[in-house]
Amino acid sequence: MKLALSLTARLTLLFVLVSSSVLIGLGWLLNAAVERHFIEMDRGLLEGKVEVLERLLASPPQAGEIQALDDAVIDMFRSDPELKIFVQTVGGSLILAPPDLPFPEQAIDRQRVDQADMIFSWRNGGSRYRGLATTMQTALPDLAPLLVVVAINIDHHERFMARYGRTLSVFIPVAAFLSGLLGWWAARRGLSPLHLLQERAASVTASQLDRRLPEESVPRELKGLARELNRMLIRLEEAFRRLSNFSSDLAHEMRTPVSNLLTQTQVALSRSRTEGEYQETLASNAEELDRLSRMIADMLFLARAENGLSLPSIEEIRLHDEIADLLEFYDALADEAGVRLQASGRAVVRGNRLMLRRALSNLLSNAIRHAGQGGQGGQGCEGGEAGEVRIDLAEESAVVSLIVENSGDPIPPEVIPMIFDRFYRAESDRPRHEGATGGLGLGLAITQAIVHAHGGHVSVTSGRAGASFRVTLPSGKSGGNGVRESDAPKNLANRP
Amino acid sequence: MKVLIVEDERKTGQYLQQGLTEAGYTVDLSPDGVEGLHLALTESYDLMLLDVMLPGMDGWQVLETLRRNGRDMPILLLTAKDQVEDRVRGLDLGADDYLIKPFAFSELLARVRTLLRRGRTEPEPTTLRVADLELDRLGHRATRGGERIDLTAKEFALLELFMRRQGEVLPRSLIASQVWDMNFDSDTNVVEVAVRRLRRKVDEPFERRLIRTVRGMGYVMEDEPEA
Repeated sequence: MKLALSLTARLTLLFVLVSSSVLIGLGWLLNAAVERHFIEMDRGLLEGKVEVLERLLASPPQAGEIQALDDAVIDMFRSDPELKIFVQTVGGSLILAPPDLPFPEQAIDRQRVDQADMIFSWRNGGSRYRGLATTMQTALPDLAPLLVVVAINIDHHERFMARYGRTLSVFIPVAAFLSGLLGWWAARRGLSPLHLLQERAASVTASQLDRRLPEESVPRELKGLARELNRMLIRLEEAFRRLSNFSSDLAHEMRTPVSNLLTQTQVALSRSRTEGEYQETLASNAEELDRLSRMIADMLFLARAENGLSLPSIEEIRLHDEIADLLEFYDALADEAGVRLQASGRAVVRGNRLMLRRALSNLLSNAIRHAGQGGQGGQGCEGGEAGEVRIDLAEESAVVSLIVENSGDPIPPEVIPMIFDRFYRAESDRPRHEGATGGLGLGLAITQAIVHAHGGHVSVTSGRAGASFRVTLPSGKSGGNGVRESDAPKNLANRP
Repeated sequence: MKVLIVEDERKTGQYLQQGLTEAGYTVDLSPDGVEGLHLALTESYDLMLLDVMLPGMDGWQVLETLRRNGRDMPILLLTAKDQVEDRVRGLDLGADDYLIKPFAFSELLARVRTLLRRGRTEPEPTTLRVADLELDRLGHRATRGGERIDLTAKEFALLELFMRRQGEVLPRSLIASQVWDMNFDSDTNVVEVAVRRLRRKVDEPFERRLIRTVRGMGYVMEDEPEA
């Protein structure tokens, strides 16, 4: 299990870790420096003594007399009782040694001493000594060269270092603890804006989705977070608004036909009527019910699309062929509405044939309806030619674009963001007579859902006249990126 | 022609029974899977309408048992669940067709007739006739009372559909699907316009009208005076 430490605890721990490792490093560094300093100091001292001794040995008081040399040395260093002097001949016999300290045979590396002076330290009894070993020529011919070791007791250095170590071992934990305390305080202070964010976020509920986090009053590091959270809230609010609008729209859309059906049926039943009248009522009911049933099927389709449509089967689709079929289908209708249909271009995509057909069919149906209306509006058009719908296909750098342009009244700018919403209908699209096969207001929403499922995009622009719907889809040649074939396919057609 | 309906929703079952009886079939109705299976195994039926969600034994099990026991009459599944997995499963288990509720009765009737026709392998005649209207499928010619009628390719296909299935009420969605291959709820105005144009050529110049609108259901071609 992963331990979830609070941010404050994490920061405090980090403070402690950082400060103690810095202090320990520093202590070690100082320790090494002091140690080196002591060595240098001792070396200076010992070298001075060696120099004196060298001079003495160069001109011994009485040649051949070792005892005389001994006395001369003792004489010379009488004022310095701590100094220990060893003199050894090549043969290995000590001709001079202090009475209270054995010769440190083990600590001396003779080969090194032959090359240069050697400074070293060793322990004897409870004390530590530092010595300088060197070879010396002497006027006593049978003894040369002599190995000379000059040493001093360095216990006071040792004591100093031990004291220093003790001080550090107390100081470092205390300092670490103090910095932890400071760190905890700093972390709490530093993180207090998070608490503010938390409080604000807690106050956002479904009924108060308009609440926003304070972007200005939080530190710079949290501004990004607050801004992204606010954007998320905006998206949520938008989605939530659409959803609740949708529910109320749905209720409204269903209520009107259901109440019509109910009234009509009850009126028909209120007294006995002729067979023709009953037939009329039932036929009218059937039409209304057919509309409702189509609406339910479309709604189910869209509800499923909300969760992401997956395409049941994917194949290569030549859009120009599909469009040719659709134009044939709509030919008579367009002709009656006085709308001329034109198509140009070629493109291939990968997708589900039935769904793409449905998406394009809705776009075309919409375009024909509006092109026809624009003409009837009598705005700058004459003769029998009321309007036209143009379809252009193009394929460019792995993107297929399909544009459906229609003449007719422009779409007001304030309406454009809503045009793909469910149940949105232009005023002119509202069914003029109930029961007619007027648009359900779901066609463009379905088109959008299908295009999105194919990894595409649909948008609309409208200028001074007419409207232009643009669909972009990944090209079929690029291997069909963005189109996912489902392993658990969903049905998309209303009818098999 | 004997049809068995297995449907637990009482009202739906009764209406289906009434509708199919009036269309000229002998209809048995069973409200649950176990009884339905028993009837299907003991009696002989030409077609079965099977609801998927049933008490006792669901439609899948009934279907599977029937096919395992060698009953090969056409079976049309009815369901409220519109899922491709369900449809695939149904067809895998041996169902012949699949209808999603709510469906139009005219749609159901059209499917039932198609399924019943499928069994028989009589060759379709090259010339279709309704009253004095004649359609030569090979020569792509339509004449009425000896007079040649000029039709576009789609008008010809539409007329052929009407004549092949004379006396049957064809729902608009079925027409869109059969003539234009639009297998989804499309703009049904298109079918209305197409039928209106066909009438203008086939019916209007003549005294007797053959294509009749059945309000709320679709269109039918028949050589009978209107009621």
